[in-house]
Amino acid sequence: MTPSVDVQQIVFAHRPGYPVLRDVTFTVPTGSFLVIVGPNGAGKSTLIGLMAGLLKPQAGHIFLEGLDIRTLGVRDLARMVAIVRQDFVPVFGFSVAEVVLMARTSRYGPFGFESKTDREHAMKALELTETAPFASRPLASLSAGERQRVFIARALAQDTPILLMDEPTSYLDLKHRVAILDLLKTIQIEEARTIVAVTHDINLAAQYGDRALLLRPITEARTPTTDRGGPAKADHYRIGPTSEVFTEDGIGEAFATRIFSGPIGREKFFLPLGRMAKDAAQAERQRSSPRDAPKPPRA
Amino acid sequence: MHCLLSPRTLLIRTSLAALTLCLTMFLCSLAGSEKISLQAVRQGAPQTGTPNPDYEIFVRIRMPRIVLAAIVGAALAAGGVTFQALLRNPLADPYILGISSGAGLGAMLALVSGLSWTVWGRSPMALFAFAGALGTVWLVWTIGRLTGRFHVTGLLLAGVVVNAFFSAVIMFLVSIAKSQHLHSTIFWLMGNLTEEDFFVLWVGAGCVTAGIVSLSFLGAQLNAISFSPDDARSLGINVERTQLAAFAIAAFITAIAVSLSGLIGFVGLIVPHAVRLVFGPDHRQLLPLSSLIGATFLVIADTIARVVVAPAQLPVGIVTAMIGGPFFLALLARYSRKVYWLK
Repeated sequence: MTPSVDVQQIVFAHRPGYPVLRDVTFTVPTGSFLVIVGPNGAGKSTLIGLMAGLLKPQAGHIFLEGLDIRTLGVRDLARMVAIVRQDFVPVFGFSVAEVVLMARTSRYGPFGFESKTDREHAMKALELTETAPFASRPLASLSAGERQRVFIARALAQDTPILLMDEPTSYLDLKHRVAILDLLKTIQIEEARTIVAVTHDINLAAQYGDRALLLRPITEARTPTTDRGGPAKADHYRIGPTSEVFTEDGIGEAFATRIFSGPIGREKFFLPLGRMAKDAAQAERQRSSPRDAPKPPRA
Repeated sequence: MHCLLSPRTLLIRTSLAALTLCLTMFLCSLAGSEKISLQAVRQGAPQTGTPNPDYEIFVRIRMPRIVLAAIVGAALAAGGVTFQALLRNPLADPYILGISSGAGLGAMLALVSGLSWTVWGRSPMALFAFAGALGTVWLVWTIGRLTGRFHVTGLLLAGVVVNAFFSAVIMFLVSIAKSQHLHSTIFWLMGNLTEEDFFVLWVGAGCVTAGIVSLSFLGAQLNAISFSPDDARSLGINVERTQLAAFAIAAFITAIAVSLSGLIGFVGLIVPHAVRLVFGPDHRQLLPLSSLIGATFLVIADTIARVVVAPAQLPVGIVTAMIGGPFFLALLARYSRKVYWLK
């Protein structure tokens, strides 16, 4: 079966000689949930931009549902991938329903009005995200969590097989973070959509993702090289099931931070502890003798 | 989803606004320094030697001027809506990207150089203003584009800088201008409507109407672009093409308005806001309604400018600011719970 997203040997540099991504290859099977994690500047958002067709790679190929992304026009692309970015407040007071319907703009008739099908898709997306009760309210009057659900509803109304999320939960509190991820998981399962989400929340990524991509900045990026010059660093990225990618050493090295971790159930939790943290010593002890690891908290 | 705009609602509201405009134009044509009787006007042009002054005043003086006010008002309001959407800035007006100073510089150059030739019986002032407006907008667009696509800050900065520079040049020309030119310069800079001949009116009306209709067809795309250009692209909209088309059309109709009437302020800023406050930000509706209401507003303002100090006349720009400002504040107070961009 063709994977939903097939990234082959991608190379991308914002400036020549300073590649952000080098020879990155991975696939996202249809209907799966991939989480992308990594420190700032590792190229997570760049990778999402490449998969959304907003950026063009200097080398390599990206296939969406088996189609080369370079052969897709703006409209075709919009029927293949939808993207949710960080929450923002728009300048003009569009209502929730208007914002969700915007997803259908490229399918409007010659007079610029939506069809009945367009309204049905929007309505369904509003209901699935539980945003229908405030459909007529202006977007700016909602809380950040509600607003992010509206953006997800808009992505759903776009009716694409692939959903890309660029840090969809970054400004949300714990409750709303979990609510968004529950929603994404529901969409993945009930609507059989493929989801790729960038997040800084490793713990939730471990809990909700099927597979994980851990990106690290290219270490010798400070010295200019040719885009394809030098051997591809094996530790530039790692991809696999969440429990294999998210290990204490892997996370600790990628983020260059001391990590305190322990098992919960099938997955681990990870807590960064700096030098001045109260329990920094405990983390150090755990590191030197893994048997001292803390007992898993009771469920 | 009752809150969404349906084609039927749009048609009804647009028709009502058009009707209001026609009614206003008719009523305003009856006001003026000369009292004219409708009956005399209805008798039409004199068949024999007996002159019909009421008809002459109505057809040759009042109607052209009222039609001109409607054209200019519609163009400025539609230009304001479009620039606010493209720049995603509620403070934008049709002049923000240098159209005003470019046109002003063109008009001043024509005036100071003392050109005496005419085109279609018109002084070169309007033509110079038109060319100056479009040239400046092109300059600003080119400079703004250097800062990257979708980057409205670059465009705005380029507009502000070009505006400031050209204004300085205008002031320099004003200070060296002969005194007999100063009166017409000041009237031009404050915005002034005069009687135009029918040919100019037909061409202007045709171009402005075509521009507003095409902008309205871009309404759905403008909605997404005014929301977020990056998002609009992901939603399958060709953002750059739409931006360029909307920008070019808006600049074109604004340049027509400016070359016909000088710099009439406030219409392009306040009318879009007032319509948005009452009817919401959907550009499919905002563009036609703002145009018709802008036209109505300027017809009324110009009638006041003609009548209030008759037989003398005020520059209409003074009237638009003086009645537009308080009216807008009242609207703001009434609908303030809808104004989320103030937060």
